Amino acid sequence: MYITMNEPSEKIANQAVQVWRISNTIGHGIALMVLGILLYCSEHFNWYSWIQISLFVLIGLIGLSAIFSIFIEPVFLQKTWRYEIDEEFIQMKNGRWNESHTLVPMEKVEFVRTEQGPIMRKYGLYNLIIGTTTSQHTIPAIPAKKAKLLKVKIAQLAKVKESDLAEGEED
Amino acid sequence: MTQEVKRFHPAWMMFEVVKLMKNSIAIFLFLFVLKFNSTSEWVIWGRYLFLVGIGWTLIMILLKWVFYRYEVVGDSIALKEGIFVKEHRTVSFDKIQNHQTKTTFLHKWLGLTSLTLETGTSLEEAAVYFPVLKADEKERILSRLENKNPETEENTDIKVGQAGRKIHFRSNKRDSLKASFTSLSFLAIFPLLSTIYFNLADFFDVEDTAEGAFDYLLLHWWMLIILFVLAMAISVGIGYLQTTIKYGNYEISDDEARIYIKKGVGSTSSFVIQKEKVQAVVVEQSMIKRLLGLASVKLISVGAMKTEEQETSSLYPFMPKQEAYQLMETLLPQYPIQEKMDRFPIKVLWYKLLVPYYFTIITAIGLFIFKKEWIWIAGIIFAVTLITRILDYFFTSYLRQENTVQIRKGGLTNETFITHYKRIQQVSVEHSWLQRKFGIASLYFQNRANPLHISELHGVSREEASAFFNWFKEKRKRLVHRNKKIS
Repeated sequence: MYITMNEPSEKIANQAVQVWRISNTIGHGIALMVLGILLYCSEHFNWYSWIQISLFVLIGLIGLSAIFSIFIEPVFLQKTWRYEIDEEFIQMKNGRWNESHTLVPMEKVEFVRTEQGPIMRKYGLYNLIIGTTTSQHTIPAIPAKKAKLLKVKIAQLAKVKESDLAEGEED
Repeated sequence: MTQEVKRFHPAWMMFEVVKLMKNSIAIFLFLFVLKFNSTSEWVIWGRYLFLVGIGWTLIMILLKWVFYRYEVVGDSIALKEGIFVKEHRTVSFDKIQNHQTKTTFLHKWLGLTSLTLETGTSLEEAAVYFPVLKADEKERILSRLENKNPETEENTDIKVGQAGRKIHFRSNKRDSLKASFTSLSFLAIFPLLSTIYFNLADFFDVEDTAEGAFDYLLLHWWMLIILFVLAMAISVGIGYLQTTIKYGNYEISDDEARIYIKKGVGSTSSFVIQKEKVQAVVVEQSMIKRLLGLASVKLISVGAMKTEEQETSSLYPFMPKQEAYQLMETLLPQYPIQEKMDRFPIKVLWYKLLVPYYFTIITAIGLFIFKKEWIWIAGIIFAVTLITRILDYFFTSYLRQENTVQIRKGGLTNETFITHYKRIQQVSVEHSWLQRKFGIASLYFQNRANPLHISELHGVSREEASAFFNWFKEKRKRLVHRNKKIS
C-alpha cells in the first residue's frame, strides 16, 4: 500500500464495464461519423488540403482513444473504483496510474441524488451524485436497490448540522 | 413591538436620479450640444427617444421605490420587490456571512448610509443590499441580526455590538505615510500629468509652446531640477492625501464573537464578520512590503465580495508583519501563524523537473510544422518553464500544526494561506505513477469562499500525505462523536 490509510471497501457493480463500453462506443461512433462526413465534404468540395490533413489526424487520435476507452479503461475503472459511506465520511478512491483518494465529511454534504441514463437502465444501475457547497462527486454504477438505500442513508446522516458541532471545539 | 413593512428612505430616488444623470450625460451632450444645429432625421429621432427613455426610467424609479419593501420577521429578513413580476425573498439571518456598510460623501451629507448583508450562495442574488438607509434604521436591522432575539429589541439605544468591544489597532499619520509610499501612489502624478497634457493639447497649441519651454529649460537646467522636485513634492502630497482618504482612520476591533474593520476619511466603510465564519486567513507580502517588513492579512469569508470590499476585509494592509501576526493571534487564536515553515525534500525538485514538458513539446511540434525558422522560441519556453519550476520548488512550503494547515506560495509576491480543519470542505490525496517512483504525492483541499478556494500542493512526501489524510479524518471524527454525546 502506497498511502497508509484505511481504504474504502465497497466496489461498484461489475456491469459498469459493459455500460461504459456501450456508451463510449456510441460516443466515439458519433464523433467518427461526423469526421467522416466532414472528410467526404472536404474531398467533394475541394477544401484546403490542411483541413483534410487535420481531419485524418483527428480520426487517428479518436481511433486510438476509442481503443483505450472501449477496451482498456472500463476494466481498470471498474476494478479500481472503491467507496465507503459511513456515519462520518464519504470516502472515494479511483484510478490506477493516477490514484486519487477523496474524503468528504458527512456534514458538508448539501444534497444527494441518483441518476440513470438509458444504458444504465438496461442494467438496473444508478449513479449516486453527492454535492457539497464546493463540489460535486459521482459514484458510478451502483445497483438500483443499493443506490436508493445509500441515498436515504446519506440524506439522513447529512442532516447533522455543522453549527451544532461548532460548540466546544478546540482541545 | 410589531415590525411594519418598510420602504427605502425616499432619498433612494434621488440617488437613482443622480446615477441616471451620470449615465446619460454623454448621450445628452452628444444629442443636444454637439449636434445642436443638426437637423438630420436620426438626431431628432434620437432626441425624442432620449427624452422618452429618461421619462420612462424616472417613472420606473418611482415605481420601484413604491414596490420595494422589506421587513424583519423573526430570524429572517423578508423582501418584496418587482413592478410587474412580484418577487418575495426571505433570507435567514443564519445564512448571513458578513455585512458591510459604506457611507459616501453624499450619504454622509444626508445622514444616511448603505448596508450589504452577504449570504454564502454563489447564485445571483447572494446579497441583501440596502443602498440608502437612515443610520438608526441600519442599527435596528443590525441589532436584530446580531442579537437574533426579538425580545431584546426594545432597548434600541444600545449601540450595535458596543458591549465588550476592544479596539486593537488604529492607524495614525505615520502609518498613512508608510502606506502611501508602499502603495506607490505618489507615482500617480505621472499619468495624471500626461492626461492633462494630452487634454490640453487637443484644444491649444501646446506642442509648440511646450517645445519652446523645453528648450528654455534645457538652457537653465537648475530650473528643471527645481521643477522636478516640486512635481515630486506635489505628487507625494497627492499620494498621501489619496491613501489617507482610502486607508485613514483605519480601526480594527473585536468582541467575543465578531471582528470589526472600519476605514476611510470622508467616505467611510466598515466590515463585520463573525469569528466563527472566517474560513481562512491569508497573509500577503508584495516585493515592496517584504523589503519594508510589512504584510497584509486578509480574512476569507464565504460571502461574495467585490474587489473593493475585499480590501475592507483585510486587516490594515500596511502593518508591520510582527504586529499583524500578534493582532491575528489576539483576534483569531485558532489560526496560529508560523513564520518558519518546511520546504519539501530535495527529491521533489527532481520530480518537478522530470514531469513532462507538454507545453514545450506542443509548441516545438507546432513550430516545426508551420514555422520552422522560429523553432528557437520553443527553447525559450523550455528555459522559462525550467526556471518557473525551480522557483516554484523554492517558494512553496507547507506546515501542519495541531488544528491548522498552512501553505505558502509565490516568489515576488508571497502568499501564506492558513485554514482550520473544520473549515476544510474536503481533502484529496493523489499520486501518479511518476510521483510513486519518487515517494511523493499531491495534496488538495477545498475551502468555502467565493470563488471556491482549492489549495494544491504537489510534492508532499507520501508519509505526510497519509498523515494529513488521517489527521483530517480523526479530527472530524471526534467532532461528530462529541456532538452525539451532547445531544
